[in-house]
Amino acid sequence: MTAPLIELEKVCKTYNQGQLNEVKALHDVSLAIEPGVMVCLQGASGSGKSTLLSIIGCVFPPTSGRAAIAGKQLARMPDRFLTIHRRNTIGFIFQHFNILPGLTVLENITLPLMPLGIAPRARKERAERLMGMLSISHRANFPARQISGGELQRVAIARALINDPPIILADEPTAHLDHTLSLAFMEIMQELQRAGKTIILTSHDALITQHPAVERIIAIQDGEIHVP
Amino acid sequence: MSFEKQLNIIDYSLSSIWRRRVKSMGVMVVFAAVIFLLASFQMTTKALTNVARDTLVSAPEITVQKMRAGRQESIPVAYQTELVSIRGIKTITPRIWGYYFHETKGANLTILGLDPQSMPFGQDLGQAIDSGRLPNEHEAVLGQGAYAYLSSPGSAMFSLFRPDLTLKALTVSGTFKASTDLLTYDTLFMSLADAQDLFLMPEGMVTDLCVTVANPTEVPTISKKIAALLPDTRVVTRQQIQKTYQAVFGWRSGFASICLLTALASFIIFAWDKASGLTPEEKKEISILKIIGWQTSDVLALRFWEGLIVSTVSFLVGYTLAYVHVAFFEAGLFRPILIGWSVLHPALRLLPTIDLGETLLVLCLTVVPYLAATVIPAWRSAIIPADSALN
Repeated sequence: MTAPLIELEKVCKTYNQGQLNEVKALHDVSLAIEPGVMVCLQGASGSGKSTLLSIIGCVFPPTSGRAAIAGKQLARMPDRFLTIHRRNTIGFIFQHFNILPGLTVLENITLPLMPLGIAPRARKERAERLMGMLSISHRANFPARQISGGELQRVAIARALINDPPIILADEPTAHLDHTLSLAFMEIMQELQRAGKTIILTSHDALITQHPAVERIIAIQDGEIHVP
Repeated sequence: MSFEKQLNIIDYSLSSIWRRRVKSMGVMVVFAAVIFLLASFQMTTKALTNVARDTLVSAPEITVQKMRAGRQESIPVAYQTELVSIRGIKTITPRIWGYYFHETKGANLTILGLDPQSMPFGQDLGQAIDSGRLPNEHEAVLGQGAYAYLSSPGSAMFSLFRPDLTLKALTVSGTFKASTDLLTYDTLFMSLADAQDLFLMPEGMVTDLCVTVANPTEVPTISKKIAALLPDTRVVTRQQIQKTYQAVFGWRSGFASICLLTALASFIIFAWDKASGLTPEEKKEISILKIIGWQTSDVLALRFWEGLIVSTVSFLVGYTLAYVHVAFFEAGLFRPILIGWSVLHPALRLLPTIDLGETLLVLCLTVVPYLAATVIPAWRSAIIPADSALN
């Protein structure tokens, strides 16, 4: 049996702990995700889905419990090391893609490589490979504000993959896409899964939840994993 | 690797400045203007001090003036016989140095009366003459400004009023070189007898005695000896005059600098306000950078490089403009403030010098506060939680 890539045990997350506006976002969440699978997190707004995604994405550590992502314990990990671990392990695809409109497609894709001290030529080579794979090479020097929604989506995927992370997190990736683009997105995700990436998606979209590549759906309700 | 990383962040800073070019240009224009003003003042003061120093080289080493009730009065030429006894004195030359108010022009003219032939530095004075020759009887050599006021087309003659309102006619025998304008611009140089006649001074009386010494290192000692021998006189050395010029320019420049520093402080407050008030787009950009792997220190480095690029470019532009303003436009904006009270302001050829110490001072007064004003509030933006990009 393969060791889990993501392992959470009795994870709790409380915002503003000890203050009047204290919010308990996650309670005793335990789950294990093996490498190379595609998982969908499902839950209503305010259910704790984004908090869980943030912990898996090494954005912040849990308040209590054990969280091990790609072999590293997050608890009490200083912010600096959390960032380094996130950079090496996680590729993010955001709901609105969060592409910087003033930068070119190439600049957006290579943005995560800049603090790594990778020279411009090496950055470009890596980006060109991904742009070729995602069929956006012809848009490399276009400002991001001038490209279509579908191209924007592929730029976001390329940026998430530029560091070759083992885990891809996609937060509501098809929320603002039409059916064709959503389908195209899932095809790319399926290819990445086949290439060995672990993919975690959050979505309400039936196209995702019922997609044959999605092996597991984790439902969250009121900060707890809901077993139907 | 760290060097490459900084190069990458600088690369991104440049692109960031370009993307916000309207805002960046606005800050750069205001900043460059403040640096231009400060550097212009600094360069003009330095250039004026240099001109004064160069011009005073030909001034007498010691000037002796008679004092009564704390005021200067005429000194008898006969005093020079007493000074002869002091060893080390090379020459003693009687001189009349006074002011003539030209009512029609509303300008003060400086009258210099001495016998050039009797002066050891008469040769130096001759070298200061641009055209013509040293004055003979009823002749005068005029500074550039005085010549422009007094000369009339087709005639070399002009007249001045004596105190009893009778007219004294003089002929222009030459003009002083423009390079000596700081001291000669409003000057009329004539013989001692003509100056005595113009001011109706009694014969044998002058305004001061000019003393030269054989060994310049003995000037302070000889000055003390003169003061002891002639207790009713004031003994002024060339070095003291030079210090007075420096003090006057320094004071004026200092006063103006205080006003400019106020402008600089206002700019820094403005920069602080601009840097600390992040737009939603800027906040979003920082949260995206952080979630995709930029450290807080990387974001701070980004803001630091942005500030350094903006301030360095502004500094270079402001400093270059200041140099051009002083060198090619004769510091036109500040001349009236720095040169003084005279209505006839000399048209000096100012040569600005770039002094490392003073350049660093301007740099420290401008770039460093700007960096502090932009990087410190940038901390607030750099600690934006990365998860805000997820919301």
